[in-house]
Amino acid sequence: MGTILDLHSHSEASDDSRAPVAAYLNWIKLRRAERPIDGLVLTEHRQFNRHADYRVLEDKFGVLVLRASEVETDYGHMLVFGVNEAILARFDFTNVRLPAQEVIDEVARLGGAVVPCHPGRPTVGLCEHYESKPPLENVVAVELLNGGSRKGENERSAELVNRYGYRAIGGSDSHMVSLIGLCATRFEAEVRSIDELVRELKSGRYQPVDFRPHRPPPRRAEPLAAGNE
Amino acid sequence: MAFDQSLIGKEFEATEPVTVSAEVIGEFCRALGEDSGRYGRPGPDGAVVAPPSFAVTFRNTDAFFQYTPRFGRGFDAGKEVEFIAPIRAGDRITLTSTVREMYEKTGRSGTMTFVILRSTLCNQRGETVAHVDHRFVHRNPGPGE
Amino acid sequence: MSAADGRHFATIEIGEALGPHEIVIGKARARAYAAVCGMGSGRFHDDEAARAEGLPGIIIPGNFSLGLLSKLVTDWLGAGPGRLKRIGTTYRAMVFPERRLLLQGFVTHLEPESRAVEIDVWIENEDNERLVIGTATAEFPPGD
Repeated sequence: MGTILDLHSHSEASDDSRAPVAAYLNWIKLRRAERPIDGLVLTEHRQFNRHADYRVLEDKFGVLVLRASEVETDYGHMLVFGVNEAILARFDFTNVRLPAQEVIDEVARLGGAVVPCHPGRPTVGLCEHYESKPPLENVVAVELLNGGSRKGENERSAELVNRYGYRAIGGSDSHMVSLIGLCATRFEAEVRSIDELVRELKSGRYQPVDFRPHRPPPRRAEPLAAGNE
Repeated sequence: MAFDQSLIGKEFEATEPVTVSAEVIGEFCRALGEDSGRYGRPGPDGAVVAPPSFAVTFRNTDAFFQYTPRFGRGFDAGKEVEFIAPIRAGDRITLTSTVREMYEKTGRSGTMTFVILRSTLCNQRGETVAHVDHRFVHRNPGPGE
Repeated sequence: MSAADGRHFATIEIGEALGPHEIVIGKARARAYAAVCGMGSGRFHDDEAARAEGLPGIIIPGNFSLGLLSKLVTDWLGAGPGRLKRIGTTYRAMVFPERRLLLQGFVTHLEPESRAVEIDVWIENEDNERLVIGTATAEFPPGD
């Protein structure tokens, strides 16, 4: 059967998003034909929302909601799945200079999994850091497809995946309701909990999927109003 | 962090009132491409109303920028604007600003400090016409800068 | 109800699109906007001054982008009873003049009790990159 999840999204809990979770779920339901995702993972910036409980919304919309975090390290941004009290005690997620190798290894030891996100992005992606620093060890996967990437960034991520043989995930990196599910990850197994997600991330049985609409080449624009000189 | 955290909560004095003229509203509408007829021209009551986004054109007191890093004012990272009442030609608008929040994060430009400055716009009748949260971003100095 | 009346809450649906509208802002217009707003910084007026700051040329002020997205919403609201209550924008990348821009949005939520409409809005370039993203809230009077 399998499960398709958007592994990278931000709700209004993140400083630069205004998307309420309920609105995300309603949009997923509305757009199911074009973006057939089964759920999303909320990866809030520099925090973990310990107390949030989305079970009522999950039941209402029939969409899975899992919680994770996006942290900032000396090798760029990384998604931390399976956040628990031990991980929160070990690392201060508000620190924008966390030691990446330690984060990867300790989170794994404490039951979670770390995935570097948007590796092709300048400054905050792995690609640029690998130009001047040794590659990280024990990388479970990287985010090959990021819905918020600019021209060339996902392509650089693909080169990284090919060069190092990394497994690959996809996520929308959505900060707005209408962008949820544009990129996602298809798991071969059923995933219904964060523990199952961590298990499957380590298994390698998944691939990124792209639900972004393919646009026709841009046509010549007509000026909308006089004065566009 | 490039900023002094003690700035949080600091209130900057209100600016001198700025009188809004119909001419400036008209110029603003032309630059924006606002040609719906609902703004920039006398309405049924004779008032010339500015488009909502006119609210972000009022400038903060320069005193705030004395606290910005030595390498410049940084960039506008975004705004959150609440439009409470229309601004009309003839209004005299004052701005009072407070530093709401500061935080650090990393992005394409490196490590940056974000400062959120809330400005409240009031007219000559003491009515609040808008709240504007300005998000300024300053790139933190690298090693040796 | 006719198109000339503008939008009414009862007829708005989640998923409804605003735009897309294509637009090109010329340098003269970008400068005019900066001038009328009292934005004297060289980055908005003079290509050389902008280059001295490490930019490829003059940029369109963030306020102008906010203004364009506000206008996207107010044009969609039309002459009806709805009004733009708030807008929030995040400037993710520089917006340059003389480039093809697309303004668009989607209605993402309706709140019947408060008659509020939440709208995603954004500006993208010819590479489909979202340069400015935001959300807006329109509100309508009770009973509309």
